Amino acid sequence: MVNGYAAASLAEALEIRSNQKVVPYAGGTDLMVENRSGVDYLFLGKIPELRNINEDDEYIRIGAAVTFTQALEDKKVPALMKEALKRIAAPAIRNAGTFGGNLGNGSAKADSVLIEFVSDARLRLASRDKERIVDVDKFYLGRKKLDLAADELIVEILLPRTGLDRYSYEKVGGRNALAISRVSFAGIFDERDGRITKLAAAFGAVADTVLRYKDLEETMLGKTLDEARELKEKYLEGYAERMVLTQGRVSAEYRKKVCMNLLGDFLAKFGI
Amino acid sequence: MEKISQSVVKKDHAPKVSGRSIYVADYPPEGVLCGKLLHSKVARAKILGVEVPKLPEGYFYVDARDVPGDNNVNIVLDDTPVFCRDTVEYIGEPIAMICGPDEKEVIRLRDECKVAYEELEPVLDFYSADEKFFDYNFGHGDVDKAFAEADKTYEEEFETGYQEQAYLETQGMMAEPEEGGRMFVHGSSQCAYYIHGAVMRALGCGPTGVHIKQDVTGGGFGGKEAFPSILGCQVAVAARKCGKPVRCVFDRREDMEYTSKRHPSFCRYKAAVKDGRVTALDIDVKFNAGAYSTLSAVVLQRGIIASPGIYNIPNVRVHGSAVKTNTSPCGAYRGFGGPQTFFAVEMFMSHIARDLGREPLEFKRTHLVKQGDQTSTCGKYHFPVPIPDMIDEVVRESDFENKRREYAKAQTGRYRRGIGMSMYFHGAGFTGAGERDLIKAVARLRKYKDGRVEVLASNGDIGQGVRTTFPKIVANELNLPLDQVFYEHPDTARVPDSGPTVASRSLMIVGELLRRAAIKLREQWKDGEEQEVEEHYKEPDFVIPFYIDKFEGDAYPTYAWAVNAIELEIDTYTGVARVLGAYGSFDVGTPVDYNVVMGQMEGGFLQGIGYASIEKMDYDSKGRIRNNSLSDYLIPTTMDVPRLKCMLHVEKYPDGPYGAKGAGELPLVGAPAAYLEAVEQALGGMKLNHAPFTAEDTLSAITKEVN
Amino acid sequence: MSEIRFRLNGSEVSYAGSGADRLLEVLRNTYRCTSVKCGCKEGECGACSVLIDGVLINSCCVAMGAIEGSEVVTMEGFRETRRFEVLDKAFGELSAVQCGFCIPGMVLAAEALLSKNPHPTVDEIRQGLSGNLCRCTGYNAIVNAVELAAKEGEGLW
Repeated sequence: MVNGYAAASLAEALEIRSNQKVVPYAGGTDLMVENRSGVDYLFLGKIPELRNINEDDEYIRIGAAVTFTQALEDKKVPALMKEALKRIAAPAIRNAGTFGGNLGNGSAKADSVLIEFVSDARLRLASRDKERIVDVDKFYLGRKKLDLAADELIVEILLPRTGLDRYSYEKVGGRNALAISRVSFAGIFDERDGRITKLAAAFGAVADTVLRYKDLEETMLGKTLDEARELKEKYLEGYAERMVLTQGRVSAEYRKKVCMNLLGDFLAKFGI
Repeated sequence: MEKISQSVVKKDHAPKVSGRSIYVADYPPEGVLCGKLLHSKVARAKILGVEVPKLPEGYFYVDARDVPGDNNVNIVLDDTPVFCRDTVEYIGEPIAMICGPDEKEVIRLRDECKVAYEELEPVLDFYSADEKFFDYNFGHGDVDKAFAEADKTYEEEFETGYQEQAYLETQGMMAEPEEGGRMFVHGSSQCAYYIHGAVMRALGCGPTGVHIKQDVTGGGFGGKEAFPSILGCQVAVAARKCGKPVRCVFDRREDMEYTSKRHPSFCRYKAAVKDGRVTALDIDVKFNAGAYSTLSAVVLQRGIIASPGIYNIPNVRVHGSAVKTNTSPCGAYRGFGGPQTFFAVEMFMSHIARDLGREPLEFKRTHLVKQGDQTSTCGKYHFPVPIPDMIDEVVRESDFENKRREYAKAQTGRYRRGIGMSMYFHGAGFTGAGERDLIKAVARLRKYKDGRVEVLASNGDIGQGVRTTFPKIVANELNLPLDQVFYEHPDTARVPDSGPTVASRSLMIVGELLRRAAIKLREQWKDGEEQEVEEHYKEPDFVIPFYIDKFEGDAYPTYAWAVNAIELEIDTYTGVARVLGAYGSFDVGTPVDYNVVMGQMEGGFLQGIGYASIEKMDYDSKGRIRNNSLSDYLIPTTMDVPRLKCMLHVEKYPDGPYGAKGAGELPLVGAPAAYLEAVEQALGGMKLNHAPFTAEDTLSAITKEVN
Repeated sequence: MSEIRFRLNGSEVSYAGSGADRLLEVLRNTYRCTSVKCGCKEGECGACSVLIDGVLINSCCVAMGAIEGSEVVTMEGFRETRRFEVLDKAFGELSAVQCGFCIPGMVLAAEALLSKNPHPTVDEIRQGLSGNLCRCTGYNAIVNAVELAAKEGEGLW
């Protein structure tokens, strides 16, 4: 094929990736809008190993070429992820758009990526000769900058199987469908024996990458709800100080206000 | 329901639903050159020169020097050039067109053209812009005296933004040289004869030197009223130079950035109130016309005539201006000046009412015009004004009064609700003496030997259904089955000039001509013979002559009326508003086809809700429009508004066919005021004064109030 | 360099051009499927919707290399089906077509929805059509038409 390589297996794809300068193409919904000229695509959409959703003891393993629609129809995919997926664009985009593509595009607006950030997901990357697992927040180095070598492909997203049941998810777009996130928020809460064991909060579409401040989260861990309420003001101040947001079609001030409101709402929802 | 109102399957349904309809981009590309415009990249500059890359054989560079006739496009004034003169006046102004057989190659060559600009300081600040294309004053009564005697006076400013038509099919025109030197221009358009006049002038030929046909058109909403005249001239000039057919279809970004849209407005309203009534309005209306005047004169006229709303105010003074800025020229968009001023006057009346401790609806009711009252231009409301009944219908359907009371109570929590109402008219047909003095519409019917009858008129079906409703009228008068009467897309070589497809006039004016023609044909009907009948527009006798220099007389023979209510819920954490219900009662006279008219009402209403809320477009400090894609300029999807509740109230107009009045524009006009009044209530009674009112605006209003 | 083979409206075809070419443009220019409309080239309007392996996809967001071995259906193919007849009739009865530019894509979106969910609620219909912009109708008539088609076409989906 001219300007493109079709691979039937992951091994074949990695072989091509190691020998040629190619742009990995999964669903095409971002790439075709960019409409880069003179590039060779490596078509990944029909590689069986990339199209499965599996689970092991620890993770739901979502193949990089799994589409959002496929994930929405799969019982293994957790509700939090589905909340985000069903608000992505519209059916035709969800039918084509993939997890790997959402990551590979490197945008902080990617709705599935926000969930991966908040749930401490990991990514399995592979090249012809080796494989590695990387935390999603380490994978994002900056706006459109990824820790992905020229010979590597994203193979799977490893989403923790447990601990994702108590959450908040909010997407603020310009309209109710076909909307790119202007602010997105996901929070996960968990407690054991009356003490907070998880209080994760991630913000999408507001900076170069998804924002998450684990050190601020840690100030709440091990606390009772009463203690957390005492700490709440300081905790929120920490976010207000740290979040420096980008100016876009909507202002940074607006985004910040929304983020703080949603974070406050998340805390309130779980009694903090 | 009257027989004429009963819906039929639209004549253009089958080809459209099956994808067989041929829009201008769909003609086979063989032998057709692709044209792409070289647009100015700066808002104001002297063009020192253009360095054109070496053109392969079969590729052409076309600019003002190639215009055989006059390089001025005939619109209202003649200030819009076909291709730029020695200066460019806005980002996007066409400098030249590159034509050639391969689109990608044409784009490459176009992008390699190097334009040498000597940049000049552009005028971008609309508020301080003072070069007036048009400046009008009118009024009646003694405004100064009313203000001197007032118990209380009010002053407020209102603003509205751009609105982009966002028709799904972008602008596109094609020109084909024919044997004998005649030029055939066709494409996506509303006004075949406007293009005809413009192309004649650009090519420097007589009326038979060119003919224009409307292709199947993927939406217009005003956006294809004047713009296709410009693009039509450009492709015609290019085709003349290349000696081959040339087609230019805009891509979406080009279309959104560089073609005409609704004028942004800034209005200052002052009111004098005595004994609980508004006794005077002193109104200043300013529209941002953009770089060339195009249709701004007539848009402004309609806007200022409507500016006192539908209220009987004894003393009125109106000043209106359309100013030049170095931005894309604004033009026609459904409502044509009315949405801007109705927004202002409806908000203003509502604010005055609340300040006086009155419910806006009750306050407005006491000021309503009625039959026999004087209009803002000292004309007369000749026919009954059905607004009181329409208010009742909307109140009943939306449970307005209960909700309004309920939502007025202090609301706490994240989500808060409000409901608002607006009432307004749309003057049917051209403003003033336009129909009588300028358009002079002629419509014709041709009967073939086999008994089929063809409608010959120049009004294009742009989705609003005239290919169906015109034949319905004719078939009804001739007692023919509908499939015996047909109406093709107009070609100026075959049809008389029945005027443009604008101003909600087609059905009311041309439909009536066709009805009369059909009666004439019925009286002369001879089986087996080919026959033709013709009708000419005649101004109704009751009309008080309108003088544009004084803005005096009947600006419109009659009016279409509407009442809207919008109920919404605001998320105070994000500012996002969710429309819970949208209700409209619309009086467009007798619907000539119930479904067709309802489709207009629903579609227009949703455009109005978009205009009120999410449709935001602006330009940056360089004069470049940033919201240039459908992901950046948002129009409503299926998910944004629940099922719209539209109702028809019929107040027949004796001079329209079966009582029909102008319909197309009405439903868009009032949504912003109803929407904003609802937002105000949800936010605990704020006073808001600009549209669109976005989620960001809402959150910033909440934040301001808290501080 | 091999050609890209796929099925288009039931026929085997092979495309010799670039794998990076846009399906939308190839359908329109090479195969003359002009029912597939170009509204934005950004996946934002749905006018270019087609069915690929039975699934609704914006053809502007597909590179030719991605459809090797797939089955592509445009309105040119779908209009020959009994399901189309039902949708056609419902859209016609309710005058749901105005300018028509969004309609081939809209009807294919309806087909995709009904294939998955033959008895959709109004909300599900709105969800199913949410990627297809229409500027003319305000969507009432279109949503009603799909509801009517689902009823009239009982058993077809």
